Amino acid sequence: MTYRLAMPTGRMLKQAEPFLAACGIVASEPLSKTRKLKVPSKCGRYEFLLVKPVDAPLYVEQGVADAGIAGRDVLIEQAPDVLEPLDLGFAVCRMVVAGLPQTNGSEDNPLRPLRVATKYPRIASRYLNKKRRASEIFKLSGSVEIGAVLGLADVVVDIVETGTTLRENGLVIHEEIVDCSAHLIYNRGAWYSRLQESRALLEILENGVKNG
Amino acid sequence: MRHLTFPPGTELAFGPQAERLERVSATLADVFRGWGFQSLQLPTFDVHETFREIAGRHYRLTDPEGRELTLRADFTQAAAKALAPLLAASERQLRAWYHGRVFRFESSGHAARVETTQSGVEWLRADGRVFDAALLALADECLVACGITDAQIVVGHAGFVQSVLGDNGRNDPDLAEALDQKNPSRIREVAKRIGIDDPTLLAKLPVLCGGREVLNDARELGVGDEATQALDELNALADSLESLPLTNGLLFDLGEVRRFDYYSGIMFKVYHSASGSELAGGGRYDSLYQSHGLSVPSVGLAFDDVGLAGVAPQRNRADDTTLIDASSPDALAQLVAQRRGGNSATLEGNA
Repeated sequence: MTYRLAMPTGRMLKQAEPFLAACGIVASEPLSKTRKLKVPSKCGRYEFLLVKPVDAPLYVEQGVADAGIAGRDVLIEQAPDVLEPLDLGFAVCRMVVAGLPQTNGSEDNPLRPLRVATKYPRIASRYLNKKRRASEIFKLSGSVEIGAVLGLADVVVDIVETGTTLRENGLVIHEEIVDCSAHLIYNRGAWYSRLQESRALLEILENGVKNG
Repeated sequence: MRHLTFPPGTELAFGPQAERLERVSATLADVFRGWGFQSLQLPTFDVHETFREIAGRHYRLTDPEGRELTLRADFTQAAAKALAPLLAASERQLRAWYHGRVFRFESSGHAARVETTQSGVEWLRADGRVFDAALLALADECLVACGITDAQIVVGHAGFVQSVLGDNGRNDPDLAEALDQKNPSRIREVAKRIGIDDPTLLAKLPVLCGGREVLNDARELGVGDEATQALDELNALADSLESLPLTNGLLFDLGEVRRFDYYSGIMFKVYHSASGSELAGGGRYDSLYQSHGLSVPSVGLAFDDVGLAGVAPQRNRADDTTLIDASSPDALAQLVAQRRGGNSATLEGNA
């Protein structure tokens, strides 16, 4: 029985695929070019399931995939019931509160809740609750920065890699919430039921991380 | 016309799936009775104080007279409250089995269930290591009786984890969560935040998982006296179980943390490749009855009946119900005759 790996498509796949290849786990055809949703590995031990980054934890938690790769941002937001034994060290970014330089609340009405645009409503509300700041969260699906630029929100909570998009839109980082990167995750049942294979994969990828 | 729905995370079943669930629960009850456990029926409504250890996860209700109520959030704690007077009045051992639903709030995640059906046992005044091994033998027998022979019984020890966590880490929920996720980088991150100088041993807990060889691996890491004693107990347990042996697999996971902190000795969970969540859990809790002024060494376990029914081989009962036309003049007489003959029968159609 092959070991099924949920692979996030898009930007993360561009880093995940060469990382796995450097670890000796190579797909039978290039994952970033294929339109197939399931691709076996050349060695035949693994099967890659190509899924949206935001869906990878769900496929693993529900046992459709035995393991997978997911960003820590998605893991914190969704809090799936999975094991997260390895920080893979790529797709590094920061979860931040950003906005226009002069805007971090309302001077007009200091009691008005902070309006926040984000793809990560749970992370945003938990962070602001912890800071004891009243907030109103607007869940957006993409291009979150524009929420602050056009005045939909006072600030955005989003991930930042280089900060170029923020700068180009005249936004600055007000606060840093958490560092994020890609993680190897496992379905709990698969971890224990296929312990030997699960640990073999972990060891291969641990060595890959060590060898940089 | 009203279109009403049920809240997310609640249990709803009808037809073959519901039959399977009922059969699993009945099978577990048979095994429990076979081991000398007596039925314990507990109320669904309860008061908050019963579940104060899981404050924030139990539901809060107010009845029309203003009384604050909750729904049963954990069988073991409700059973402790119910059975404490009997234990105080007599020195004898008590063996109770239960079946019913528990209700715990889960923030809306993937398929998080707020309502689960459990069947389990409380073995009270179960003093001695033989009861630890017996509990796992019981769990194995339950699995086999439900047709499951390829699950993994994963055993840890509360004393070992508590000892390695130390005074600083013992009560930190973030550290417990990082351990539960087997996430060494987060374990180091939280350990640093709460002032644990050397998190090396803690960060190794996630990999202390496998056959009984991990007990020796752990010993070689130079753990303290309390942890060594826990490893001795696990070794003795492994010896006892090897002589049986169990039908399902047995693994040791020294990084295992339970979500309730009343466990004091061995702890276990049951996993299966077809399910991401545990099918059963249990262990030893010798201090639970102290809050009732009693010293009652105890072990117990609980099965997630729905999870078990989802994994158990699907043996749907053939529907051999005789359908009797309700418009027939002697429909009722036919039905009663069939039933008195011990056959499955019902009325169908319009009279």
